[in-house]
Amino acid sequence: MSALGIVGGVVQPLAVVAGSPVLVGMMRQVRARLEGRAGPGIAQPWRDLRKLFGKEPIAPRGTGVVFRAAPYALVATTLVVSFVAPLATVDSPLDPVADLFAVVALLTAGTVALALAGLDTGTAFGGMGASREMTIVALVEPTLLVAVFALSVPVGSTNLAAIVSSTLRDPARAISPASLLAAVALVIVIVAETGRLPVDNPSTHLELTMVHEAMVLEYAGPDLALVELASAMRLGVFLALLANLFVPWGIATTAGPFAVLGGVLALAVKVVVLGLALAVGEVFLAKLRLFRVPELLAGSFLLALLAVAASFFLA
Amino acid sequence: MITLLMLAPVGLPVLGALAYLLFGWRPATAWIAAGAAAGELAAAIGLAAVVDLSGPQIAVGGLARVDALSVFMLLVIGTVGLLATAASPSYLAAEIRAGRASMRTAARHSLLVQAFLAAMASAVLAADLGGLWIAIEATTIVTAFLVGQRRTRAAVEAAWKYVVICSTGIALALLGALLLNYAAQHTPVRPGLNLVGLIAAAHTLDPAVTKIAVAMLVIGFGTKAGLAPLHAWLPDAHSQAPAPVSALMSGVLLSVAFYAILRVKLVADAVLGAGFARALLLVMALASLALAASLLIAQRDYKRMLAYSSIEHLALIATGAAVGGPLAMAAVLLHMLGHGLAKGVLFLGAGQLSQTDGTSRIAQIRAVAARQPVLAGCLGFGVLALIGLPPFSIFASELGIARAGFAAGLGWFTAIALSLTAVAGAVLVIHVSRMLLGTPAEGPGAATASPRLPAAAGAVLLAGLTLSAALGVTAGPLTGLLHSAAVIAVGTP
Amino acid sequence: MSETTYVQLLYLACGGLLLTSVLMLWRRELAVLIRVFAVQGFALAVIAGLAALHHGGIELGAVAVGILVLRVGILPWLLRRAVAAVGPASRETRPLVNVAASLLVAAVLTLLAYAVSRPLVELAPAAATSAIPIGVAVVLIGFFVLITRRRAPSQLVGFLLMDNGITAVGLLTTAGVALTVELGVALDVLLAVLVLQILTGRMRETFGDTDVAELRELHD
Repeated sequence: MSALGIVGGVVQPLAVVAGSPVLVGMMRQVRARLEGRAGPGIAQPWRDLRKLFGKEPIAPRGTGVVFRAAPYALVATTLVVSFVAPLATVDSPLDPVADLFAVVALLTAGTVALALAGLDTGTAFGGMGASREMTIVALVEPTLLVAVFALSVPVGSTNLAAIVSSTLRDPARAISPASLLAAVALVIVIVAETGRLPVDNPSTHLELTMVHEAMVLEYAGPDLALVELASAMRLGVFLALLANLFVPWGIATTAGPFAVLGGVLALAVKVVVLGLALAVGEVFLAKLRLFRVPELLAGSFLLALLAVAASFFLA
Repeated sequence: MITLLMLAPVGLPVLGALAYLLFGWRPATAWIAAGAAAGELAAAIGLAAVVDLSGPQIAVGGLARVDALSVFMLLVIGTVGLLATAASPSYLAAEIRAGRASMRTAARHSLLVQAFLAAMASAVLAADLGGLWIAIEATTIVTAFLVGQRRTRAAVEAAWKYVVICSTGIALALLGALLLNYAAQHTPVRPGLNLVGLIAAAHTLDPAVTKIAVAMLVIGFGTKAGLAPLHAWLPDAHSQAPAPVSALMSGVLLSVAFYAILRVKLVADAVLGAGFARALLLVMALASLALAASLLIAQRDYKRMLAYSSIEHLALIATGAAVGGPLAMAAVLLHMLGHGLAKGVLFLGAGQLSQTDGTSRIAQIRAVAARQPVLAGCLGFGVLALIGLPPFSIFASELGIARAGFAAGLGWFTAIALSLTAVAGAVLVIHVSRMLLGTPAEGPGAATASPRLPAAAGAVLLAGLTLSAALGVTAGPLTGLLHSAAVIAVGTP
Repeated sequence: MSETTYVQLLYLACGGLLLTSVLMLWRRELAVLIRVFAVQGFALAVIAGLAALHHGGIELGAVAVGILVLRVGILPWLLRRAVAAVGPASRETRPLVNVAASLLVAAVLTLLAYAVSRPLVELAPAAATSAIPIGVAVVLIGFFVLITRRRAPSQLVGFLLMDNGITAVGLLTTAGVALTVELGVALDVLLAVLVLQILTGRMRETFGDTDVAELRELHD
């Protein structure tokens, strides 16, 4: 375990936990401004969280341990990912865990936990949200795996840190057709996975269109705060991974304080840019009808597959 | 002299087209088309004599090459072209009288037919595969407007399908040609796409690449020849085109496209041995035969019926080519000529029939024999020629293909092909006899003055049938040419 | 231009080729398809231009310019006119196979293209030839678009997609197909499209404005 790994292991989770709600606030603010509203300010998610954490824990009658454990599972898995993945530093305290398959499995485990919680409430909305989420996840996870796999082929390793540092060494790889196709595929699946437009509308509570919101409808108080925090963190982690897989420059490769600070700053800049792009894009997009979503995801799966093929044959 | 002779088959129709462009269609220019076709035929005969005396010739800076095989194809083009263009003036005059066409349409029709003849002649004269490809694609473009000439809903749709499917097929052939060129680049001599050069360099061509290229080329040109799997354009286009154009397409265009396959097969056999092209052609031929025979049974439109019969005959030709060997190849070439004549006569006769009766439905036509005995006789004998009864030449060529097939150890395939042909023939006879025989409908309104067959058209039909019968009895002066063309088509093993 | 830049740019253009083909399968609006087609034409012109720079052939440079004019300028313009001609009723394609399934078919076709074109790559391993499978994949996807679209303008798009793929294969396999053949090919494509263009015009004349180009008059 290197010094850089330890530093990364401390800095990254802190940055993700602290920064993600701000990221969400910023995206909401941008949307609000573009739509001609004043907006609540970028710190609003944190204010919401503080208020929710201060409330009395309460759970609907008839729900079991799954319902109560799911928010913790969601936060925990996301924390582990932010602990190991190469976000601000290329090294981590548990380098072998920073494996493509492990990271994707961890993130999926969180999603599944939330879907189970939705089922556990026994309400119509919870079940509907869970079934929709599972449909999307079934298409998203393979795409995610295949797309990152395409990037790992030229490196010869599925370790995310190895992929990132290899792109650092060989910048030309960032514009190869494989990474072009994989990038498009990843953008689509990340949009789907984090429940943004056009797959899911994060700001709606219109019963017929909800996916993520339908699952968390029964949560209140600190549990809701955890779920909200975890979804913000997932968004942050996904955007950071996307940025670092294709544009890793700025990430800390040594344990010096300036390098680490630079890494965190670079991470913040990249994630904010991506988040703003996403928010601006959402203003112009309408939500897809649910049965069109598999079409979109099948397309991204195809692109990911093409990326793998291209990385094998055009190497 | 030889250059002039080789330019004539292309140049005369081009001049004819120019004449129609300048002077339009009128009684004075109506026969220019037939004149140009006759000139083309004469040039072909002249070339046949030259090739017989002094072997293959090259001209126009190596772009054009003529050997016995291409001369034979020129003869087919000239003969069927002469039949079709000689029947055109009366056909067009009748269309104009019926108000289905104007003088301008007639002029455009004649112009495009001339361009069509020129494109086909340049296809068989091309010395390399690239030129051959361009010429065959040009025929698609030219004939698209001929198919859609009547501008009815069905005609426009047929033209659309024709262009889309044929362009697709021909695009596949282009891909094949590019790949063959790619293989040729990586040989010591770099023959490009020159047909002779490719065969000479055969042992250095990469077999795996050639295999892909040949498959693409055969499927691609097979589309144009009406072979499965991309045959769907053929019945539509043949039934909607004006009769002389249907005759030309069926009798010549399909054969010219098959000529391209024969040329590709020569390269394929030299590189890969006989097995690959044989398997490919047999599969396509049997699929086309099965399809044509089954769709013929329930056919309700006599032009579509003739079109499916063209698929069937091209499939039979493909079977013969797959069998290979001098006997089969001679039979294949003779079959091309015989089929061109018989199908030309039938399509021209069918065009006459649809002009007088105003329908192409089999069920709505009765007792042609009683109303128009000459036309009925021509149609009847035409069908007998088509299904291969002696003394017509198709009998001889089918017999040749069958004998060669059994001798080459492809007994099963030949037997299946022959039985499917027999089914198709029987169906054809049943349908046509329903149209020709019977008593005319009695009663008021039924008895109109029976229209007469124009003398020129009647002469053309009779000439075609006579020629077909004569070829069946003896190949006469063609014997030598047929023999040397077959030797070329077999290739050197 | 250094060897690595050449290879990078070449592969990037090929990736663009593949991406645009997938987009054509994916999107329904003909206007978008035509724009994507123009982008693909540009990628093709880049491939030709790179080949010209790399092999230093004036002929190839001319081919690149020709591709740029034909496929980015003329053909999209003709297509737009054809779409305008058939009227608003058929501005969206109506695939026979639903989009999700056809995307998966495209994935299979791509793998098939890689499998089929292995001998082509092995004949002369080089940077350009190793991208041949992409050209073949574009041909197959174009063929698939062609046979699964019901309306005339979308069939035209499929045909042109296929043709782009063939051109790509031609450019990638060759150090110089004779210019005459290239010219003949370009001319033929242009003519075929013109013919189809005229036919779409006639279709509107004969079929009327509604329910245009459904192509179901003739069948057995």
